[in-house]
Amino acid sequence: MSYVEFSTISKHFGNSVAVADLDLQIEQGEFFSLLGPSGCGKSTTLRMLAGFVKPTTGTIHVNGRDVTALPPEARDIGIVFQNYAIFPHMTVFDNIAFGLVERKLPRGEIKQKVDAALAEVGMTGFEGRYERELSGGQKQRVALARVLVIEPEILLLDEPLSALDKKMREEMKFWIKNIQRSVGITTIYVTHDQSEALTMSDRIAVMDQGRVLQIGTPVEIYEQPASRFIAEFIGESNLLNGIVSAVDGAVCSIRIGNATVTGRLTQNNSVSQDQDVALLVRPEMIRLHALDADEQPKLTGTVSETIYQGSVVRYRIQIADQDLMVEIANRPDLPRLDMTDEVAVFWDAESGVVMP
Amino acid sequence: MERKIPLPMLVLAILGFCYLLFPILVVVLAGLTTGEFLTFPPKGLSLRWVISFLNSEKYLSAFFFSFKLALMTMVVSTILGTAAALFLARSRFVGRAALRAFFLSPVVLPGVVVGFALYAFFIASGMGISRTIWGLWIGHILYSTPYVIGTVGASLATFDVSLEEAARSLGASPMRAFRKITFPNIAQGIQAGSIFAFIVSFGQFEVSLFLSAPNSEPLPIAMYNSLRYKFEPDAAAAGIFAITLVIASVLLTNRLVNIRRLLERQDG
Ligand SMILES: Nc1ncnc2c1ncn2[C@@H]1O[C@H](COP(=O)(O)OP(=O)(O)OP(=O)(O)O)[C@@H](O)[C@H]1O
Ligand SMILES: [Mg+2]
Repeated sequence: MSYVEFSTISKHFGNSVAVADLDLQIEQGEFFSLLGPSGCGKSTTLRMLAGFVKPTTGTIHVNGRDVTALPPEARDIGIVFQNYAIFPHMTVFDNIAFGLVERKLPRGEIKQKVDAALAEVGMTGFEGRYERELSGGQKQRVALARVLVIEPEILLLDEPLSALDKKMREEMKFWIKNIQRSVGITTIYVTHDQSEALTMSDRIAVMDQGRVLQIGTPVEIYEQPASRFIAEFIGESNLLNGIVSAVDGAVCSIRIGNATVTGRLTQNNSVSQDQDVALLVRPEMIRLHALDADEQPKLTGTVSETIYQGSVVRYRIQIADQDLMVEIANRPDLPRLDMTDEVAVFWDAESGVVMP
Repeated sequence: MERKIPLPMLVLAILGFCYLLFPILVVVLAGLTTGEFLTFPPKGLSLRWVISFLNSEKYLSAFFFSFKLALMTMVVSTILGTAAALFLARSRFVGRAALRAFFLSPVVLPGVVVGFALYAFFIASGMGISRTIWGLWIGHILYSTPYVIGTVGASLATFDVSLEEAARSLGASPMRAFRKITFPNIAQGIQAGSIFAFIVSFGQFEVSLFLSAPNSEPLPIAMYNSLRYKFEPDAAAAGIFAITLVIASVLLTNRLVNIRRLLERQDG
């Protein structure tokens, strides 16, 4: 049995279904993300694990123990909220000490543990401050210290970065991941930001409308998305419409206009001859050549827009009636293209993913 | 920092204040008259009727009866009102808005209706509490509790429930989480509500008219009964004491609330 197990968990609010038939297995020490658009049931899932929401059906096990009916205080789970929920009438010290006081630890030990926690999150010297005297990033650190100091079995984070500005967000992303790694705590992270999920997670569950669509490592989710929805939700994607002209195991030939390109099938997807499909190609996987190159191009197009972004140059390529975004590293050995240039379009066979 | 208020608004505001405060001034000055009768403007100023009030068995006992009744009402209204406000804020069910309106209805209904309804109910039900302090107490609680529900409800509306959830998952039982987290954050609303309940009960007239016993009357009823037969200024003197009590309790609450704020700031 896994460390955390959701078995056929669902949650209904009146007639609306927030979470449906959810099965999740999370391993000890894992950094697991729930990723999905707003309202897909991420927070509800997290709150069922924390004990704030009672599941309509199903059971939750943590470390072999059925916690489904336990109140939050009996679960040994730490949660960091989106708004941090720092107790406004208490100092930073009393905030962090709260869980230890509830556990009736002797005062000397509490002081020692709080000091250690403050040092761990880099907030030594702030113990006398109140919530209103802290910046967003500092509140974040206090909220994390308050949870880590009780050494819970599981750490839950519900969109902890969404209240911070972009620069802080980048910084805290790595900081949280580092703390998590050094403490080694099983962590479930809720976000609707795919870059956070890709950067931090060991595994990601992509959710939509209360259901898990795919579970996998960041590489699997990004490179072998199970559906068009996931492909479009995670990262930037080109979905080219075409028709299957041949299937050979997991490799398919796809006809796009007059050209035939190859792509592969992922997950449990299957297609048949002459089926309309979409071919997913990430912008950075595509190579472009001026049309007078020696290679025999399969696919050709016209540059309809160039966007210079410093480290990369982006091109919009018109292929018949379809658009393709291409991202090329800004290096002297790669060709620089202009509007209306005719180009040949290439990608490696495994970079094209066929989506039924 | 300085905010310019347009002149017409300022004039209107001052006129409004004068209009509201004038009756109080009338009562205070009338109570300080040297004359035999309740008149305005007063005939000269003296403490004659204030002293008469302090020596009047009838008024003093009414004053302390009202004070006792208001305290008793305050205690129960504060507890009931806080509980009701918590329930209304935390539960989700169809008809919650209707229940809220029902809880607040005693304030909107004419006091005469509430008073008469209770009187009729106490008589008809044969509970034996019509025209006793217990029946009067119930009437006052009914009338004051909505104010507590209102103020506590307002402070709960700005209270972030995730604070309570954070406390729970840090190991606090529901009671502990309420006592250590929710209560301190809504304490100002509870305090304001209880002072409201006290003042409302102390000044209550219509409900008292139906429910008070002839030998133990609250101050407003005593003043009314006295003024019906003789137009003596000691009623106004009693009014001075009532006004003083109300102002004192408001100032006291303000002080308490501000002192707490001040302490928090200095600590940090
Ligand atoms: N207490 C509740 N009562 C009724 N409906 C609720 C409640 N909590 C959540 N829902 C509904 O359940 C669905 C899932 O909500 P949830 O908060 O889990 O979404 P989420 O994925 O966390 O979204 P977001 O990214 O916006 O936070 C939504 O449609 C929401 O309206
Ligand atoms: Mg959410």
